[in-house]
Amino acid sequence: MLRFRARQWFLSLPFATALRIGVAALIASVFLYGAWPWLPIGRGRPARTLVFYGFSILAEVMDDGVFPAFQAEWERQTGEHVEFVSSFSGSGTITNQMILGVPAEVALLSLELDALRLEQAGVLPGPTWRDLPYEGVVNRTPFIILVRPGNPLGIHDFSDLARPGVAIVHPDPLTSGGAQWAILAEYGSALRTTGDEELAFEQLLGIWRNVVAQAASARAARTQFESGFGDALITYEQEVLTDLASGRLEAEIVYPHSTILSEHTLVVLERNIAPEEENFVNAFVAFLWSESAQAIFVEHGFRSVLPELDEANPSLASIEDPFTVADLGGWAMARQQIIDAVWKARVLPEVGR
Amino acid sequence: MTASAPMGRPRGQSMLPVYLLVAALLPLLLMPLAAVYVFAGRGGLSAFVNAFTQPDAQFALRFSILMAFATAAVNGVLGTFSAYVLSKFRFRGREALNVIVNLPVAIPTVVVGTSLLLLWGPIGILGRVLDPLGIQPMFAPAGVLLAHLFVTFPYMLGAVKPVLDELEVTYEEAAYTIGASRWQTFRHVILPALRGGLFSGTLLTFAHSMGEFGATVLVSGNLRLRTQTAPLYIFAQFEAGNVENANAVAAVLATLSFVLFFLLLRVTQRSAPRAG
Repeated sequence: MLRFRARQWFLSLPFATALRIGVAALIASVFLYGAWPWLPIGRGRPARTLVFYGFSILAEVMDDGVFPAFQAEWERQTGEHVEFVSSFSGSGTITNQMILGVPAEVALLSLELDALRLEQAGVLPGPTWRDLPYEGVVNRTPFIILVRPGNPLGIHDFSDLARPGVAIVHPDPLTSGGAQWAILAEYGSALRTTGDEELAFEQLLGIWRNVVAQAASARAARTQFESGFGDALITYEQEVLTDLASGRLEAEIVYPHSTILSEHTLVVLERNIAPEEENFVNAFVAFLWSESAQAIFVEHGFRSVLPELDEANPSLASIEDPFTVADLGGWAMARQQIIDAVWKARVLPEVGR
Repeated sequence: MTASAPMGRPRGQSMLPVYLLVAALLPLLLMPLAAVYVFAGRGGLSAFVNAFTQPDAQFALRFSILMAFATAAVNGVLGTFSAYVLSKFRFRGREALNVIVNLPVAIPTVVVGTSLLLLWGPIGILGRVLDPLGIQPMFAPAGVLLAHLFVTFPYMLGAVKPVLDELEVTYEEAAYTIGASRWQTFRHVILPALRGGLFSGTLLTFAHSMGEFGATVLVSGNLRLRTQTAPLYIFAQFEAGNVENANAVAAVLATLSFVLFFLLLRVTQRSAPRAG
């Protein structure tokens, strides 16, 4: 009897109405949650904002190291709070975005070639990065080969990657600066060892015949390799150091006998900087070459422009024969003679892409 | 699965089609959805909460929700209006317009993003005029909204127009004969009949806006804490190898969509008989 009464009472409740109110309340609360940051309820806006674009592998070192360090530094000096608005993608991608007009104030590109493209497109009035310290180069990292644990295929140098049957994951040179560095490393190492352009071409061709996946950025290539694809990955040393140390990535680094040190170029986009922000932006730019920022880069596996700092990170192994793009005649020449004349004109057609 | 005997069902009615459906949906739909939750919870609850409470994750989620509301509101009204016009008015070029408004479904979203950039961007046709005035819709929330409005436009139309086309003209005519104006007829005769269509159209618009990626990644500039939506955040985190962060937000997004859909469907079902 009691159960029956309870059931009657239960059914007499205005469920439809309750449900409607519930749904309306839910939708309203979801909306409120979404709109919260934009509601003008007693929140001080940060005093300064800096819009930073960086190439793919920079995300952690900037977010966890350099940005907080500069925030603390600036707050100590001026008492103002700094907010960083950032975007990280393949170097070619962010360069294209800047040409299309994203409001980047400072950008760290993976290679000077992209800075030259910005200049050509009129985003930069001239080669302004060359007036910065170290001609705009903030840090470096060598190109290495990452292989599966135990190195089952016995890969010890770039030449081993040209053997048939090695599956290579490579970033896409169309969008990734790292991929362009990798091409210079693959070609240049053979050129330095043999001194023969034809043999260098053979090695580049052999490697590219084995490329099974092209990812949009060095970061994306690593994610592909991490998820079990391919036997070898050609990438920045920095890109894999921290994850190898933390055990997140199960792989082995192979240091080639001869490899290139990539140099990462900073550009300052004057046209996106309000006059009153100029001092602040310049302070940030100068900070990047300060000893404290350079030490942070080293801590995160980059090689500093101040070589004496590199000793602080024992995992930065020595390389027998490192070279830079300057040894190949600078980027303008390397692009013309290696990327365009060899890779684009001769390797790509043979590979049949 | 087939081992359990069917109970409490009319004799002879086999449950086989249901099993077949579940078996087909398992690898196509159910397992990928479950994987989102499995990977989101892999690091334990604290890791999930930590990933979810990151300022950029929070921002991305809130920004997506706000954009979805705005898109649903604008396209809800605009889509209903265009359905009304296309269904009730006869004019030259109606057929062509009918096809054109449905095109956004077929165009790759990347193309939408590019064309919006080439139109409104700082070096675009309209953007070049607006830029000196200090108006820059691209790489700002306005650009994201424009992209979402474009991409989701056909959904409202698709949900409302068939109902309008099927609607008996006699009701409207009756309304007109007793002296109702066009607006009164719309408000009191047509709108109540459209309820179901309005609900499902708005829902589809909202959901599609929450998940939009291709056009958004181009027009937003992918700026964290400013224009990065939840799908962009998920992709960026996945690309950076932070699968847990990506899946935490994905799981919240999936749950949110599920709850909203479920409740709104319940409401429409309950109110449907009364609306007729």
